[in-house]
Amino acid sequence: MDASTRTKSRSKKPQYSRFTQQELPAWKPILTPKWIITSFVIIAILFTPAGLLCLWASERVVEIIDRYDDDCLPDSYSTDPDSFIQSNNTNKTCVRTLKVPRKMTAPIFIYYQLDNFYQNHRRYVKSRSDKQLRDPDEADETEDCKPINGNDDGPIVPCGLVAWSLFNDTYKFFKGNKAIDIDKKDIAWESDKKYKFGSNVYPKNFQNWELIGGGALDESKPLSEQEDLIVWMKTAALPTFRKLYGKINTDLEANETITVVIQNNYNTYVFGGEKKVALSTANWIGGKNDFFGISFLTIGGVCFFVAINFILLYVLKPRPLGDPSYLSWNRNQGAQ
Amino acid sequence: MKGWRGSRQGGDSASSPVAVERSLTSSSSIRLGRVQPQAPGHRTVFCNDRDANHLAKYKGNAVSTTKYNVITFLPKGLYEQFRRVANLYFLTISCLSFTPVSPVSPITNVIPLSLVLFVSLVKEAFEDWKRLQNDMTINNSCVDVLQEQRWESIPWKKLQVGDIVRVKQDGFFPADLLLLASTNPDGVCYTETANLDGETNLKIRKALEKTWDYVAPEKASEFKGEIQCEQPNNSLYTFTGNLILQKQTIPIGPNQILLRGCNLRNTEYIVGAVIFTGHETKVMMNAMNVPSKRSTLERKLDKVIATLFGVLLCMCLIGAIGSAVFVNKKYHYLELWISGDSQQFNPRNRFVVFVLSIFTLITLYSPIIPISLYVSIEMIKFIQSTKFINNDLHMYHSETNTPALARTSNLNEELGQVEYIFSDKTGTLTRNLMEFFKCSIGGETYGTGVTEIEMGAARRNGLNIKEKTASNTAREKGFNFDDARLMHGAWRNEPNPDMCKEFFRCLAICHTVLPEGEETPEKLRYQAASPDEAALVTAAKNFGFFFYRRTPTMIYVRESHVEKIGKVQDVTYEILNVLEFNSTRKRQSVVCRYGDGRLVLYCKGADTVIYERLASGNDELKKISREQLEQYGEAGLRTLCLAYRNLSPETYESWNEKFIQAKSSLRDRERKLDEVAELIEKDLTLIGCTAIEDKLQEGVPSCIETLSRAGIKIWVLTGDKLETAINIAYACKLINNDMKQFVISSETDAIREVESRGDQVEIAQFIRETVKNELQKCHEEAQHIVHGSTGQKLSLLIDGKCLMYALDPNLRSTLLSLSLSCSSVVCCRVSPLQKAQVTRLVRKGANKITLSIGDGANDVGMIQAAHVGVGISGMEGMQAVMASDFAIAQFRFLTDLLLVHGRWSYLRLCKVVSYFFYKNLTFTLTQFWYTFQTGYSGQRFYDDWFQSLYNVIFTALPVIIVGLLDKDVNASLSKKYPQLYKQGIDNAFFNWKVVGTLACFSVYQSVIVYNFAIASSTTGLTSAGKILGVWDISTAAFTCLVITVNLRLLMMCNTVTRWHSISVGGSILAWFIFIFIYSLVFVNKGTYFTIYVLMSTAYLYLLAILVPIVALLGDFLYQGAQRWFYPYDYQIVQEIHRHEPESIGAGLLEVGNQLTPEEERRYAFALLPRERSKHTGFAFDSPGYESFFATQQGVSAPQKPWDVIRRASMKPKSKSPRTSRH
Repeated sequence: MDASTRTKSRSKKPQYSRFTQQELPAWKPILTPKWIITSFVIIAILFTPAGLLCLWASERVVEIIDRYDDDCLPDSYSTDPDSFIQSNNTNKTCVRTLKVPRKMTAPIFIYYQLDNFYQNHRRYVKSRSDKQLRDPDEADETEDCKPINGNDDGPIVPCGLVAWSLFNDTYKFFKGNKAIDIDKKDIAWESDKKYKFGSNVYPKNFQNWELIGGGALDESKPLSEQEDLIVWMKTAALPTFRKLYGKINTDLEANETITVVIQNNYNTYVFGGEKKVALSTANWIGGKNDFFGISFLTIGGVCFFVAINFILLYVLKPRPLGDPSYLSWNRNQGAQ
Repeated sequence: MKGWRGSRQGGDSASSPVAVERSLTSSSSIRLGRVQPQAPGHRTVFCNDRDANHLAKYKGNAVSTTKYNVITFLPKGLYEQFRRVANLYFLTISCLSFTPVSPVSPITNVIPLSLVLFVSLVKEAFEDWKRLQNDMTINNSCVDVLQEQRWESIPWKKLQVGDIVRVKQDGFFPADLLLLASTNPDGVCYTETANLDGETNLKIRKALEKTWDYVAPEKASEFKGEIQCEQPNNSLYTFTGNLILQKQTIPIGPNQILLRGCNLRNTEYIVGAVIFTGHETKVMMNAMNVPSKRSTLERKLDKVIATLFGVLLCMCLIGAIGSAVFVNKKYHYLELWISGDSQQFNPRNRFVVFVLSIFTLITLYSPIIPISLYVSIEMIKFIQSTKFINNDLHMYHSETNTPALARTSNLNEELGQVEYIFSDKTGTLTRNLMEFFKCSIGGETYGTGVTEIEMGAARRNGLNIKEKTASNTAREKGFNFDDARLMHGAWRNEPNPDMCKEFFRCLAICHTVLPEGEETPEKLRYQAASPDEAALVTAAKNFGFFFYRRTPTMIYVRESHVEKIGKVQDVTYEILNVLEFNSTRKRQSVVCRYGDGRLVLYCKGADTVIYERLASGNDELKKISREQLEQYGEAGLRTLCLAYRNLSPETYESWNEKFIQAKSSLRDRERKLDEVAELIEKDLTLIGCTAIEDKLQEGVPSCIETLSRAGIKIWVLTGDKLETAINIAYACKLINNDMKQFVISSETDAIREVESRGDQVEIAQFIRETVKNELQKCHEEAQHIVHGSTGQKLSLLIDGKCLMYALDPNLRSTLLSLSLSCSSVVCCRVSPLQKAQVTRLVRKGANKITLSIGDGANDVGMIQAAHVGVGISGMEGMQAVMASDFAIAQFRFLTDLLLVHGRWSYLRLCKVVSYFFYKNLTFTLTQFWYTFQTGYSGQRFYDDWFQSLYNVIFTALPVIIVGLLDKDVNASLSKKYPQLYKQGIDNAFFNWKVVGTLACFSVYQSVIVYNFAIASSTTGLTSAGKILGVWDISTAAFTCLVITVNLRLLMMCNTVTRWHSISVGGSILAWFIFIFIYSLVFVNKGTYFTIYVLMSTAYLYLLAILVPIVALLGDFLYQGAQRWFYPYDYQIVQEIHRHEPESIGAGLLEVGNQLTPEEERRYAFALLPRERSKHTGFAFDSPGYESFFATQQGVSAPQKPWDVIRRASMKPKSKSPRTSRH
């Protein structure tokens, strides 16, 4: 009995460890004005050149944008654009001329830009079947595509609203009377072509529905080669978006005039959307993108401004670091 | 043979009324007494006959306190989890996400919910596992059971009703037993019931005379009794039943019952028969769940969550209205007018669109309520309490080998906000270590010591008194007396040796102490109801009057030096009557007969009552003695007057008749006994008086001073009398002479005069009026002083009687407002109930956070009433500790508990909560902004998995690290600048202002993250001119978000340890690892290959640099400006001590090294074996021994007002303080 009690009643003194005694070594930063001023100045110093660099890169990009939806609507149909665009008998060809402001070096990218087109609408985004696009054996996986999933002839490939509403305006470019070649290859992301769209999946039963949404597909070409479709199906984040149409591999000189012949097929009139065609060069920052440059510069400027202000305050209203008289209980005493 | 009867009578008769009826009629010869109404019928136990009892199907002795078993764990555990509103909310969301209205896949909500549930269930399982192990240890501990004429050791769980068991000394009773026999003469045994009611004095149980012989196994095996008794119930102090032995029916009562959970003392072993087993034992029937307390911060958090829910609904409303407006069939490419799978976007029915959109958006925005918040907080608090509080070396008391113990982890941060402390005095502020310090015999004062209070008073007056270190001081626990004139028989040479002799005899005879252990002066220990008594008897021993044995009728005293120096002689005194102490009588008397037939009444009691009853004459002595009493009182000593009276046999006999009559009366017995006592307690002769020192706990005054500098107000609630309380308050620096003192006492002449008239109604009315007037007068004066410019501090002293009236609903508000304007309040002579009432008054009335600290059973009420209950552990009974939330060994550890742990916990929890709030709001807001761009369709911005793992992986760990490790200033500075604590009291770190500021930054950051990611992505983003899709952009945005949110956490930290960097870095890294793998796994998702695509763009890198910096710039600026222009106190302290290296373990040395001689002396005392006893108000209040005699005569012991603790305290553990020191 005694022995057992003795072993039981050993010391309950806690073991020392830095963790349990909460004495882990730590860095204790104090946000002094020096720190603030230094960091703001450093940010200002780093951001200003970065902003200039971005802005410079963006400025070097030449971009031509032309909105054509209204202008390509014949006056006779201006009150009823719907019947114009839905009719098979109207002449939808439209000619636009563009002036090149500065020299554009190849490759020049052709984009179409849609506005007020909700590719990111929940109903739209999910109305596709990635399985079907990849694998010919999964052509029946059309659950998400409803109502554009299939009919008596079998499932639609590619099914769903996204594919169905494929953009189908076409552009031809002429320099004088000479046509400019448009390279439609390699406009989609490599990964999409390789993995997401099968090289042995062929369009089937497409645009056979009672309503025609947009472009048709060449049933003899596998989906992985239908780059327009691949580009279209990478849904955009915003209702205003740009998609790559093709590339021009020749330089355009400054002040050259180029003619664009547009087949105005795509119906944006019904929902008041806009259609634009854009020509743009690109460099490391991508297309024309002032946002980064302006942000960097603005932030750099703000930081510089704040730093100056802090220095002024530091001078005008100094507070000695660690002055006990600033402790609230000492202040209160002083007040009495 | 008797089986059929047993099965009928003993079974659970409540379920079959027929059986009850028949059993009652069949045993019509036995009338059972008061059968508990809740359990009709009775049970019959056949002792030593397992077969007969078997048919009755009594429950086994195994107990189980687990909440779950293997089968019920999942359903019950899940049910418990879903009782939390937050979990239920997420369950609803998860269910919603299975419907077509959901924009997100079920994974999004199911994964976090399952993870949270999983963690909670694992925690539950772990706790239940520990309970199970605890049960198993108890169930498997062994007890001797009679089998085949031998004692066989079997585990408790195998024990059955009717078994005969043997329990050895210090052993616990395995079940409720009927005491049959004991090794002590007269079938008496002693039990300690500390585990049941916290009383540490020994209780006597006595077996029926008929069964005394069944001690040996051979004899016991012949025992074939039949016990008929009440059904199991939870009343600890009642028991009715009969023992049918050899056709004789003998009534049994509580005196023969040994309850499970108690243990045997001072008895070699006992033999008993099992009556109730397992869950039917009285202690188990009393098991109750202590209502769990929730911290104020958590309740505040609930409000914030509710607000968030409101914000969520607003967001949904906006989105739903937008959705209803947006849907239009002109968007032909959306095919909205074709009724697809749902009506959700049908433009012809915009109301349906609106309603369904609300559900859609709720699902989408659900992360605004942080799902992992509660489980994270629980985890943090659990580690804080088990790893930090329980292991703090600063709070380890080596003398009693007691570390601090957080019994709940719910209230850690509550400790950082305490504004009012309610403290018990005895045992908490003072040691409850009574030392016989001085005495006065026949007008001569003896004892040369100086009390701490006197020293304190001297110091206040600027004197510096060095304590004389007397070499010849007799040192023993309870005896700190230094005067050679009385020691070693020297008293024989004093002027009045006869008086001395009476003095010593009075000390040795007039008490209710039980001796324990070997009958030598060194080894014998005294078990006393109050430590004062033990001190007095110990004093008698040291003076040569060694009380060593008592029987119900005799007291044995070994007297030395009486006839001549050195002669030792054993003397017996017959105890004829004991007139018990109670709070009205304030005195206690014993009538004893000397060997030579001399009849003497010895009396000791409060000076006021003794003086009233002294025989006339000898005024000189009375006057001197009174002066000495006052001196002792001033020195903070507890005084008692001793007196005696010689009785003639005739006087005694005639009185004794009246006494017996009164004792056997059935109505008003108490009052009648008091009246009879008055008849004999008169014409007393004053012998002298004793003075006992109640020593202050170590470090109490400085602790109190520190706490009051921290803005904490300390109230002392004590059962002691006003004078003592005031003295202690002075000694503790609670009151000083600069304070304005308001005293509201019932001990005024006016009240006494009314009281002497005896009309209860008049007294009540008079006191009420007086209290009302006093209160109002004081209140006015207090208001005047508070609004004045003197800045004088106030203190209030009020006694229990006045408090009773002041707590009256009419006066309560005045009392509250008066006491809140006082910096210290002392309530004396208060009952346990009043302690709880006062606590509740401040808690509810003033809405302040309260803490109660106490050590005894009388503090349980206030400990439970306060927000935080703290028990003093290590020396007293378990009662207070069992009711408390935190247990510490010393009052002074409150500084560490509150100023260090509490403050840090508060600070950390505030950070954790606000961070959770911030990160989820930011996340959800980016999602919200996106809604505007998607035609309000509820399209999600992020991938499902991003959203589900955001809370549980990418931002989970760092915040827990902060919750554990962040500290603004280190522990020693926390104590050096107690004022820092005020910010917790003011709740400076988690209020609507803080939340609002945070929300603003959240909005700002979400706007930055979302817009920067979106706005910069509109054109081609590579030199190949390719365009990014929605999933690429959202991945980039999410990357920025994870980086921003994690870095924001670092900015909130006061200290950055390795773990901070690892966890923050690890979280960001985890995101990248995740996305690198994830974007390769799911080919069919939009996120396929995104990160690789993004990495080929400058966009990602520019964004990842720009966004976190821009987003955090605002916070950085705010923090910098706040620190510079409106610094918090802790920030100043950080600055003052910025160059000091962290003092590792330095604080620990302080305690050990700088011992003043005085402290050393105190340590020496602390090292002495400690009395385990309980103080309840005045020195003699707890009838232990007498109650036994009273119950012998049919008087049941009064039921204690407090409840009974759980069996957790029953864990067999080392009880002996003597061995625990090594």
